[in-house]
Amino acid sequence: MGYEPGTAPEPVTLLIGEISEELMTIGESRAEYRIFDGISLDTARKTIGIGGIVFNVRPIIFRQLKDADAVALFICTAGPLIGEMSRKCMQEGDLLKGYVYDVIGSEIVENAADRMQEDIRETALSAGKKITNRFSPGYCGWDVAEQHTLFTFFRNNFCGITLTESALMNPVKSVSGIIGIGAGVRFAPYQCNMCDDKNCIYRNRKTKV
Amino acid sequence: MTELLEKISSCVEYGKVDINSPYPPAMKGQEGAFELTRQALDAGINPGEILEEALIPAMSRVGQKFSRNEIFVPQMLMAAKAMNSSMIHIRPYYLSGQTKRRGTFIIGTVTGDLHDIGKNLVAMMIEGAGWEVLDLGVDVSTEKYILAAEENPGAVIGLSALLTTTMENMRKTVAILKEKFPETKILVGGAPVTAEFCERIKADFYSPDPQGAVDYLKTIA
Repeated sequence: MGYEPGTAPEPVTLLIGEISEELMTIGESRAEYRIFDGISLDTARKTIGIGGIVFNVRPIIFRQLKDADAVALFICTAGPLIGEMSRKCMQEGDLLKGYVYDVIGSEIVENAADRMQEDIRETALSAGKKITNRFSPGYCGWDVAEQHTLFTFFRNNFCGITLTESALMNPVKSVSGIIGIGAGVRFAPYQCNMCDDKNCIYRNRKTKV
Repeated sequence: MTELLEKISSCVEYGKVDINSPYPPAMKGQEGAFELTRQALDAGINPGEILEEALIPAMSRVGQKFSRNEIFVPQMLMAAKAMNSSMIHIRPYYLSGQTKRRGTFIIGTVTGDLHDIGKNLVAMMIEGAGWEVLDLGVDVSTEKYILAAEENPGAVIGLSALLTTTMENMRKTVAILKEKFPETKILVGGAPVTAEFCERIKADFYSPDPQGAVDYLKTIA
């Protein structure tokens, strides 16, 4: 939300406590990933090919993935309930509560993605490899429309995530993307300086290792 | 009189809704925007004066602080809630024609896009600047914008998009609206939208934050 620790106004901290407690018992988060070896990297076009399917990840992400010899594709969701609760509050005029649901929903899905990423990291480590940060369509120059291509790699509806024509995920609190794997790749604890999107809603968010 | 208006303004700025609201702690137990606005009207203060001297300046300060990163979204939402509690008493004067709005602002998130937080923030700041806001919601088709524009001649239109894919829908909607209503001012916004994109699609104004939209509207009404 932008506050330094301990500086959020009382109604916000109270709502965070109340909603977190409410959501504690729900546990709808799900994640799925698939690791692909034998990828093809086209330095000139800044693309990554997996079994004949090409992702045009653009220069910022390509720079991070160029030393990978495998990639993990992933989808992850916090489930439909949080987004529905947020929307309901907004529609009923309680914008603050709706907003807090939305922010907590984002935290939950990012935490789930962190756990999934840790799993991928351990798998890579056991093979003597490292991982990059995770990158999603719609960020760092990667066209969000490529999310349609990314979804073709997953079992139909495994996580219950569907895509609209405009590549919006439903449930809204979902993330998808790619992680590079290889002996020569690097994980950046802070990744916003890789990107030139000054308006990104995730800018300045600290990335967990 | 002035003291009462200053108190209302302060309540709105700091999100003090009514006597029961515990926030901000320094104002706990004190009357809020709801009670003070009623008192002001009962004391004979013109509703237009309450709006111009208390509510609009308060929301303007909130918008400026947000632009400078001194406050964040929750405080804007709390201020808007306090303003709405004040507006409960003022709205009837709009309906009777005793108090005039600065204009009508039609807003919506473009077709294919379901994001609404940014759009809601802009809507409440513009309402706080004295405009009537017609919120068409999310996933708004071009036809809906056209209908709203036809029903509200002279209204300004705002379009929001949070996805690069729906920016294309924004472009199409702006093109059709400009063709049908060449004089209508169109504002665009949303995380992936830029001033360059705004210029390319021939919209009239882009702002990265709600206060920019409010400031622009001041220049045209």
